[in-house]
Amino acid sequence: MQLLEQVQDGVRLSVSTPEENIRAAAAANDSLILEFEAFRDGRGFSLAAVLRGQGYRGRLIAAGKVLPDQARHLRRCGFDAVELSPGADPAPWRRMDQVFSAAYQAASGDDRLVWRQRHTNPDAALAARLNARWGQADAEDLLRAILDPALGRKAAAISSFGAEAAVLLHLISRVRPDLPVVFLETGQHFFQTLAYRRELTERLGLTDVRDIKPEAAALSQADPRGDLWRSAPDACCAIRKVQPLAQALAGFDTRITGRKRYQNSHRAALEPFEAADGVLTVNPLAAWSADQIETWLRDHQLPRHPLVEQGYPSIGCWPCTRAVETGEDARDGRWAGQEKTECGIHERALVPAC
Amino acid sequence: MYRYDEFDAALVRERIKEFSDQVDRRSSGALTEDEFKPLRLMNGVYLQLHAYMLRVAVPYGVMNSCQMRRLAHVARTYDKGYGHFTTRTNIQFNWPALQDLPAVLSDLAEVEMHAIQTSGNCIRNVTTDVFAGVAADEIEDPRPWCEIVRQWSTIHPEFSFLPRKFKIAIVGAPKDRAAIRTHDVGLQIVRGEDGQTAFRVFVGGGQGRLPHIAQEIAPAVRGQSLLAYLTAILRAYNLLGRRDNIHKARIKILVAAIGIDAFRDEVERQFAILRHEDLRIPDEELARIQAYFTPPPFNDLPATSPAYDAARRLNPEFARFTRSNLREHKQAGYGAVIVSLKPIGGVPGDITAAQMDVVADLAARFSFDEVRASYEQNLVLPHVRLEDVHAVWSRLREAGLATANADLATDIIACPGLDYCSLANARSIPVAQALSRQLADAALLEKLGPVRINISGCINACGHHHVGHIGVLGVDRKGEEYYQITVGGSPDEQAALGEIVGRSLPAEEVAPAIARALDRYLEIRNDGELFIDTVRRLGADPFRTAIYELTDAAA
Amino acid sequence: MKLLTANRLNDGRVIYLGEADHAVETIDAARPLDDAAADAALAQAQSRPAVFVNPYLIEVEGRAPSGRDRLKERIRSAGPTVGHSLDFPARNETA
Repeated sequence: MQLLEQVQDGVRLSVSTPEENIRAAAAANDSLILEFEAFRDGRGFSLAAVLRGQGYRGRLIAAGKVLPDQARHLRRCGFDAVELSPGADPAPWRRMDQVFSAAYQAASGDDRLVWRQRHTNPDAALAARLNARWGQADAEDLLRAILDPALGRKAAAISSFGAEAAVLLHLISRVRPDLPVVFLETGQHFFQTLAYRRELTERLGLTDVRDIKPEAAALSQADPRGDLWRSAPDACCAIRKVQPLAQALAGFDTRITGRKRYQNSHRAALEPFEAADGVLTVNPLAAWSADQIETWLRDHQLPRHPLVEQGYPSIGCWPCTRAVETGEDARDGRWAGQEKTECGIHERALVPAC
Repeated sequence: MYRYDEFDAALVRERIKEFSDQVDRRSSGALTEDEFKPLRLMNGVYLQLHAYMLRVAVPYGVMNSCQMRRLAHVARTYDKGYGHFTTRTNIQFNWPALQDLPAVLSDLAEVEMHAIQTSGNCIRNVTTDVFAGVAADEIEDPRPWCEIVRQWSTIHPEFSFLPRKFKIAIVGAPKDRAAIRTHDVGLQIVRGEDGQTAFRVFVGGGQGRLPHIAQEIAPAVRGQSLLAYLTAILRAYNLLGRRDNIHKARIKILVAAIGIDAFRDEVERQFAILRHEDLRIPDEELARIQAYFTPPPFNDLPATSPAYDAARRLNPEFARFTRSNLREHKQAGYGAVIVSLKPIGGVPGDITAAQMDVVADLAARFSFDEVRASYEQNLVLPHVRLEDVHAVWSRLREAGLATANADLATDIIACPGLDYCSLANARSIPVAQALSRQLADAALLEKLGPVRINISGCINACGHHHVGHIGVLGVDRKGEEYYQITVGGSPDEQAALGEIVGRSLPAEEVAPAIARALDRYLEIRNDGELFIDTVRRLGADPFRTAIYELTDAAA
Repeated sequence: MKLLTANRLNDGRVIYLGEADHAVETIDAARPLDDAAADAALAQAQSRPAVFVNPYLIEVEGRAPSGRDRLKERIRSAGPTVGHSLDFPARNETA
């Protein structure tokens, strides 16, 4: 809304003018100044609302006794500008006009109506709501809250059974040991990973760990020799991880991952809750540091993936995983020497391929 | 109950920032007191006799235990260890410092509470039937609609500088347990012709200097059009209400001045020219809000509980409590427990921080974490299993919250009066205390049955004395406290204003006079006839003579 | 005689104009004013909105309020006559 420091020319009517006279003046003029007799006299707001409601497109200027605290009211009722009294400081006007990020009522030329925001972007709203409510909570409480049967969510966890997987799986075993845990059996795992997957499942008492294999037909067609990783690693991840995962998770509206901010720079802004396309992704360990992970593993005497002590802080399939040098990010051993940093299973729009 | 999403939460936080900015500008002199006053009133901050008073909103009276505990914390930390529940189901703190208010409001915002628009010339807290979702005669739970109206009316850009305050009440049953006919707009849920939710709309009620009973303006406004219709009413009022005289500025004066038919025409004209698409509640929003008010996961219980029946047989005091303070629940095996804030000789509606914590615990353990504030200035635990009522009563009794007087003669509704309020002519609390002690005999109370006694300390009638079966109004006679008595008012669907019985009495004569009136009732009533029905049958005269008996005899 | 009274801006407490134009909390410390001084005192208080909110003059006999509003002014000076505030000390009242 404009703040006018000069006295304006044009038709000027007091807000005590009867409504029909105001409407007549609006019909005859493409600009109108409404003079407020007292800041407590709110008739001007309704007069503007009536005019705008009837489709008046002319310029509406508020003048007279108005407070900076009424800036927002004036703008939302349809005033284009305020004629400031001489010497008035415009700063409080600007400040008070912008105090609220949204409103419960529709307004002229302002689309920040809460109803619209709630219902056109339910994913963002949901994630924001959950982050606001549970974002600072301790990981186990957060998990417990989101897995509360009363919420009616259909949840599954994804685990690589890799270097740090035990933490998330341990938390899950404490909250809901029968939670479906999806393990992508790509066919190209280190054998140590497969052994670890069996050991950890047993130790933690997880009862619904699902090995998800790539579709045999797709494999024999696209990667008959098992060397697609060399020429087209993205395509290889797609067949062995992304598509099988999409199939496995169809029907689940909530997926739980062990992703953390410190793992690489692309995850640095990770929130505990993300939502897209009706799927809620929960990252209870998002804010955990490497030290916290270590401490948890140690305090709860959880078995470690055997390759960790061989210098593999992050473990994927054997063709695309190498040990990491000092100073590198934990995931720098994944697809090293390539631009690829993520396999793609956590990207948006996980739609089953068929 | 409704839970904030991030939009609701953001709005409340931003409001605190706005108010802090205003407090700073008042302190620096950038705002005069005259400019600051309406802004602070819209944040519930009054300046009373002794201190600021903060009126915290309890939207349509509903709270959870976490909120109740936080109110206790506010009472302990920023105030003198207690709060006061009002006839509009809000809670008042009488002693906060202005500089503490941003911290108080932040503490409240954390538990989804605020003090927005609990005062000022704007739309106030929407109130409802304390037995919403409990009473069997309910057509539809009014609370989702209360929440919708609450959001629509909050920080409304067009309706924040009305001629005067604006109060809305909504009920979901034909019985009016929220005194909707004493409100500026009263809404009663009815079934429309198509079987959908509709509202019978009343307009122009109000107490104060010139009390009016609201009149029906529309028999059945469709739910989808409710906000548009309310907008039309508010717009007509905002443009036409008087602004020259604070005592003539409520909508009741406007409706009385131009007549209900002319006012209806004006509202319908505004309704026809406004943009409906912005005011039609989206189906998904209505569904979203209604989802918060589904019944709690009740157990499947038999209608009677042997443990409860046995407890009543064994303990006459408990049995008496259940006769007055336990209300029937539509769910078999459950009841609603009225927590009395009217101890004999106490301050009506007051509650200490310790008591708030007790109520919070009971709500969490025994009432699906819900507690409500009532129009009568009591609290209600709405969903208590019959077998748990004895345990609840024991705990309430320890805490001084189990006076067995709900709706009886010592369940007095009173404003704070001249002890606290700068508007008052006379004190109301000492009169309430004296009356309470005068009528304290439990057997007498039961014999009298339901009698509604309301006390206001001045003509603003915050104690709703006009609609008390017996009303007491404090007046100022040359600097002395005198009290006018009215008889025959009623706040419900048979709404009526009480009749003044005669000249005002000095403070010490009020309680004995009312006692005589009640004795007279016992003499002349038909079997089983309620006090108000005897008044309706015989008029105020028999009570008038009883009230003035001694003084007339002495003359 | 008259006294000047108001509420204090920062905590809303009842204050009176005392010696040397200080704001004092008890009626006993208030400075008695004759008519001429009263008007000057009112103007003084009105020029200090950061301390005095809604200042006005009251009639007293000695230090006891005596005018039409004497009951209200007595309650303002002494506090509520009933209620829980009598049992609990104020958190932030100065000595």
